[in-house]
Amino acid sequence: MAEAALKTVPLDKARALQWLQRYGVYAGVALLLVVNIVITPHFLSAENFRTQAVQVAPVIIVALGMALVIGTEGVDLSVGAVMALAASVTALYLGYGLVPALLVVALFAAGVGLANGALVALVGVQPIVATLALMVGGRGLALVLLPQLEDLRNPQLASLGSGDVLGIPYLILIAAVLALLVAFTVRRTTFGRQLLAIGDSRPAAQLAGLPVRRVLIVVYVVSALLAAVAGVLATARLQASDPTSLGNLMELSAITAVVVGGTPLTGGRVNIAGTVAGAVLIQLLTATLIKHDLPPSWTQIAQAVVIVAAVYAARGRGKR
Amino acid sequence: MRVLQAPQFPFSVTRIGVTMQRTTHRSLLLARPVLVALAAAVALTATSCAKSEDDAADGKKSTAAADAGQKVAEPKPGSKTCTIDAYGGEKIDLKDATVGFSQSEKEANPFRIAETQSIKDEAARRGVKLLTANAQSQFSKQISDVQDLLAKGADLLVIAPLNSDGWDPVLQAAAAKKVPIVTIDRKINATACKDYVSFIASDFVEQGRRAADQMIEATGGKGEVAILLGSAGNNVTTERTKGFKERVAEKAPGLKVVFEQTGDFTREKGQQVTEQLIQSKPGIKGIYAENDEMGLGAVAALKGAGKKAGDVKIVTVDGTRNAVQGVVDGWISGVIESNPRFGPLAFQTLDDFTQGKEVAQDIIIQDGAYDDGNAEQDLGKAY
Repeated sequence: MAEAALKTVPLDKARALQWLQRYGVYAGVALLLVVNIVITPHFLSAENFRTQAVQVAPVIIVALGMALVIGTEGVDLSVGAVMALAASVTALYLGYGLVPALLVVALFAAGVGLANGALVALVGVQPIVATLALMVGGRGLALVLLPQLEDLRNPQLASLGSGDVLGIPYLILIAAVLALLVAFTVRRTTFGRQLLAIGDSRPAAQLAGLPVRRVLIVVYVVSALLAAVAGVLATARLQASDPTSLGNLMELSAITAVVVGGTPLTGGRVNIAGTVAGAVLIQLLTATLIKHDLPPSWTQIAQAVVIVAAVYAARGRGKR
Repeated sequence: MRVLQAPQFPFSVTRIGVTMQRTTHRSLLLARPVLVALAAAVALTATSCAKSEDDAADGKKSTAAADAGQKVAEPKPGSKTCTIDAYGGEKIDLKDATVGFSQSEKEANPFRIAETQSIKDEAARRGVKLLTANAQSQFSKQISDVQDLLAKGADLLVIAPLNSDGWDPVLQAAAAKKVPIVTIDRKINATACKDYVSFIASDFVEQGRRAADQMIEATGGKGEVAILLGSAGNNVTTERTKGFKERVAEKAPGLKVVFEQTGDFTREKGQQVTEQLIQSKPGIKGIYAENDEMGLGAVAALKGAGKKAGDVKIVTVDGTRNAVQGVVDGWISGVIESNPRFGPLAFQTLDDFTQGKEVAQDIIIQDGAYDDGNAEQDLGKAY
C-alpha cells in the first residue's frame, strides 16, 4: 500500500517514508509470517510459535534494558557477560535453593550495573568504554567462579525453564510482563521522562536540575538486572550452566533489536513495542533460514540487510 | 538527593565542563585500586560461601580414576619414521630430562582438562620433571610460553598447538638448542623429522566415518538425518562432516542428509537449532552431532518437545562422561570417542626417540566407541 501511494502521488513520498519508519518493523514481521505460512511446512502450529517465542524471550528481555540505556544516549556492552555471570552464580549457589541463588545473582548483577553506572555517571567514562571493561571483566569473573559447564538438576529451576501456565511457558509470560513494565515506566513515570530528557541533552537536563547521575546509575543497574533475568532463564531452559558460551554476542543481538525497532542511537527516544518487534523479526528471519537449511552465513547477511534498511529508515528522522 | 547535588550546579554553563573534568580526573585515580580490591574481594567471598548442588553429594567425579590410555592404530605400511640421528641431537635418558608441555586452550572443557591431566599423570608415573604452560587461547602467548619453557631448560617439548601456522620463531629457537618436539591433537605446518619429531592425533575423518556406521546401524540405513555442524572454518568440523557423508553415500544410499546447520560446538546452539529442526521436519530419524555438547543440546530439545528416548537416534563424537551417560539412559545411540589422553603415547614416543629407536612421524590414535552394549561398563573410561 505504501508503494502504491508512492507511485501515484509523489507528494505523499515523505508520508510513505514516515509510515515505513514507524511501522516498517511490524510490516517486516507480518511479511515474514505470511511468507513462512506459505512456504514453510508445519509453520502454522502452536508448537512452532511456542518454540519461536521461547527462543526469543531472553533476547527481548536483554533488549528492553538495552533500549533504556540507548535512550540515555549510552550503550551497554556488558549484557552478555552479565548473562554468563548469572549462569555461573546460579550454579554456585543453587545448593541453598532456587530463591536464595536468585537473590545472590541479583546482587552480582546489581554490582555490575552499579560499576557501569558509576563509571558513566560519576567518573565520566564513555558508556562504550565503561561497559566494554565490564564485558571483559564480567565474563572473566564468571569463568573464575565456574570454569566449566555444569549440569543442574534443581526441579524448580527446570520448571522455570520448561513449565507453563495454561499452555503459555513461563519464559514468555516473564518477557511479556517485563516488556509492559518497561513500556509503562518509559511512558508514564517521572523516571521515564527524566531518562529521555538526559538522552536528549545531558547538559540541559543537568541545568534543569534533574537527578542525572542517579537516573543514569539506575538505568545501568536495571539493564544488568534484566540481563541477569535472561541469563537465569536461558540457564533454566538448558538445565546447565555454561558460562563459556552463554550470552556470547548477546549485546549485538540486543542492540540490533533496539535499532531495528526504531529507537535512535542518539538517545532521547525509546520505542519498546518496536524493540520487541525487532527481536521477533530477527528471530523469525533466523528461523526461516534454518528451517530451509540455508548456510549459516546467509543468516548473517540477511541480518546485515535488515539493519541497513532500519538505519536507512531512521536516517530521515534526524532531518525533521 | 537534589540537595546533595546542589553544589554541582551553581556554575555557569562554561564552568560546568571544567568542574566535571576535574572530578573525573580525581576519581579515576582513586577508582583503579578500589576496583581491583573490590574485584578480588568479590571473587574471594563468592567462592568461599558458595554451595553448589554437588557439594553435599558424592563430590566431583575424578578424571584420573579410570585412565584409559591411548593405543596406536596400526601404522600404515611404508609410513615415514624418524630417528634421532636423522633429526640431530643427542641421546638422553628420559628419566633425567625435563619435559615442557604447552597447552593451547584454557582447561575449561573436558577434553583439555583430561589432556593436561593425562600429561601430568604420565610424567609423575615416569618420574620425569614436567614444566607446564597454558596459552589461554592466545597464540602470541603460546609462542612466548614455549620460548619460556626453552629458557627454563626444557630438554624435550610436547605442544598442543592452537594454530597450525606461525611457529617459525619457536622452531628456530628449539632447533638451536636441539630440543625434540612432539605435537599433539593439531599439526603444525613444518617439516616432520626436521622441525619436529612426531605428530600424535586422532583421525577426524575416520571419526566421521565411524559415526556414520553407528547412524546406519541405529536407523537401519533408511530415512532422513540431520547434521549439527561444529564452528565454521574449523578443520575438525570439515573433516568430521566429510567422513560422515562419504560413508553414508557409500554404504547407505537410503539415508538422506536433509539438514546441516551449525551449533557452534555449544549446547545452547545445539538445543536451539534442534528445536527448529524438529518443528520443520517432524519425520527426522537421526541427528549426527559433531561434538557431545551439541548432542546433549539436541537431547534437551527433544525432551522439551515431549519426545521419548530413542524416538530420534543421536550419534555424537567426543566421549565425555555426560554423553556416555546419555547412551546409558537411552537418549543417545552412540558416541565415537576422540581420545584426549595423550600422556602415555607422547612420553613413549619421546622415550623411544631419545633412546635412538625409530618413531613414526604421524601417529594416529585408535579411538574407542560407546553404544548400548558397552556404555554402562565403560562409563568410567569417559572423560
